[in-house]
Amino acid sequence: MKSTAYSEKVLDHFRKPRNVGTMEGEDIGKGRVGNPVCGDLMEFYIEVKDNRIKDIKFQTFGCGSAVATASMITEMAKGKTLEEALKITRKDVADELDGLPPIKMHCSNLAADALRDAIKNYQKKKGQTSETEVKEEKFSKEIAGEKEFLNKGVYHDASDISSFEGKRTLIVDRGEQSIAAAIKLSKHIPRVVFLTPGKNVSASEELATKLKKANVKILYESELLEIHGIRTVEKVLIHDLNEDTKYELFVDAVILL
Amino acid sequence: MNAYLDYQSSKPIDPRVFEAMMPYFQDKFGNPSSLHQIGDEATKIMEESRQTIANFINAKKEEIIFTSGATESNNLAFFGFAMRNKEKGNHIIISEIEHISILNITKQLVKLGFTISKVPVDQYGRVYLDKIKDRLTDKTILVSIGYANNEVGTIQPISKIGAFCREKNIMFHTDAVAAEGLLTLDVKRDNIDLMTLSSNDIYGPKGIGVLYIKTGIRLNPTIIGGGQEHGKRSGSENIPGIVGMAKAAEIMQKEMDMEIERLLGYRIKLIKNILEKIPRAYLNGHPEERLPNNVNLRFDGIEGESLLLSLNDKQISVSTGSACSSKTLEPSHTLIALGLIHEEAHGSLELTVGRFNTNNDVEAVIKALPEVVDRLRKLSPLYE
Repeated sequence: MKSTAYSEKVLDHFRKPRNVGTMEGEDIGKGRVGNPVCGDLMEFYIEVKDNRIKDIKFQTFGCGSAVATASMITEMAKGKTLEEALKITRKDVADELDGLPPIKMHCSNLAADALRDAIKNYQKKKGQTSETEVKEEKFSKEIAGEKEFLNKGVYHDASDISSFEGKRTLIVDRGEQSIAAAIKLSKHIPRVVFLTPGKNVSASEELATKLKKANVKILYESELLEIHGIRTVEKVLIHDLNEDTKYELFVDAVILL
Repeated sequence: MNAYLDYQSSKPIDPRVFEAMMPYFQDKFGNPSSLHQIGDEATKIMEESRQTIANFINAKKEEIIFTSGATESNNLAFFGFAMRNKEKGNHIIISEIEHISILNITKQLVKLGFTISKVPVDQYGRVYLDKIKDRLTDKTILVSIGYANNEVGTIQPISKIGAFCREKNIMFHTDAVAAEGLLTLDVKRDNIDLMTLSSNDIYGPKGIGVLYIKTGIRLNPTIIGGGQEHGKRSGSENIPGIVGMAKAAEIMQKEMDMEIERLLGYRIKLIKNILEKIPRAYLNGHPEERLPNNVNLRFDGIEGESLLLSLNDKQISVSTGSACSSKTLEPSHTLIALGLIHEEAHGSLELTVGRFNTNNDVEAVIKALPEVVDRLRKLSPLYE
């Protein structure tokens, strides 16, 4: 079935999505779910009063059915108790929308997951069980291909800008000097990708803001696994730590400071 | 009025082509294999058509084989050539950004014992001869690089690659469908051995295409039957289709220069205005080395299918490389090969203009797109 073969209800929710937005505060639970296959992303915010969902908002980056399912589930969940809301399934959402094309069922799965994530986040918040995430930093880990391509696309030094001219360059987070190098390079070459294992860039606020404003694509929660090519670097294999998936990225140069 | 900017997906048939085909459905219905007068008439028009199409690419009449379209031509080129020449070698070189039909054909060839190397492209989608040389082995029998990319419009250095392959005595195939009617095709100048052409891409009917096979190259047939097309492609000839494709080629040859100039004007206007009006919008593909009809953009924080649906609501028809709109839910392999991450490939928008577009269509896109992007960005958690 064509992806655009949507029901009238889906199209209505896509055109006029309900409850779009964000919320902040003491009684707000926030959920965030991504789909590693197609890159969809969904965020939900719930305001809870007396164990009921008093208000609910969402934002989404995704296709027509991602927007519609998110919008629909906000209507379904509003007023429900947390326990009731946790029971909403992808099928419930799809049924309520008069069905979805089979290939799109994963998108509505995402909406139910994101809502559940928000509820769990709220419950965790109220239960005061703040889990601090521990993420191992793997700076010293050996990357396959690092030695083979040294100076053939892999560089331990970023000071000579001319070696990166016209090259899609990947810089692996190795502290503040790598961030500074990414910012500097982005002024001279069109494509700079910065890869960090963290959820955020760990640097002084000034430097982190500078990086975000620079023409640099930042890949969070990611690590470099392998470097491939013939004679020179042609592509790398990246591990998405959050989704635990691996994917290829085509680059011409890798900077490991 | 619908503004159709998706000529890469499908083109209307030119009314002059339609008219030229009409007699061959009822009055002139002969089969070229028949020995009577009605059959002879069919043979005559078929051979005249073959000559017209040969002229269009500077080939000889005998080098034109009619097929059911570009996909079949690609199948005949790859399976036909590979199976016939497997004693000479089992290695084939293609690029990372070939048309999906070629990617899937080569997957099948791997199962039949062939090895496939894919040449990467640069950030603009350009293939470099050096990268082909890097992959060459003494088992390499075929190199296939698309003349221009169908998604981002990047034009390849076909002449250079052709000259190199000829020198090394390796056969060179090119799928020229995306470039048809937009660049001057010349199989002699470019040292091309096998070339895939489609009729619809020059405003001819669907269901007909051509494989150019240079004299002396031997292929196994992929469709076996009554031995038509010198045994290379059996099946009673599709005379109305053949007449239509020839008429389309004839018109194209005459009007191409004017048409290209007009389309180029649209392309320049679209890119300039969209990049000016929409913040954090980027051009995919090469700024200059691109087909005159192709605009491919991406917008931070926006998904392509949502963009397509929203423009559809405003009576504008476009394409996207987004995973959400594909049958496999994988993002466009071309955009990934350019070095984009999934999220970026996800937000791509492809606009292709053609013969029947007017300035109004271009204006409609320039007016609608900023509004649509703005609305979708307000929904997006990825855009601050």
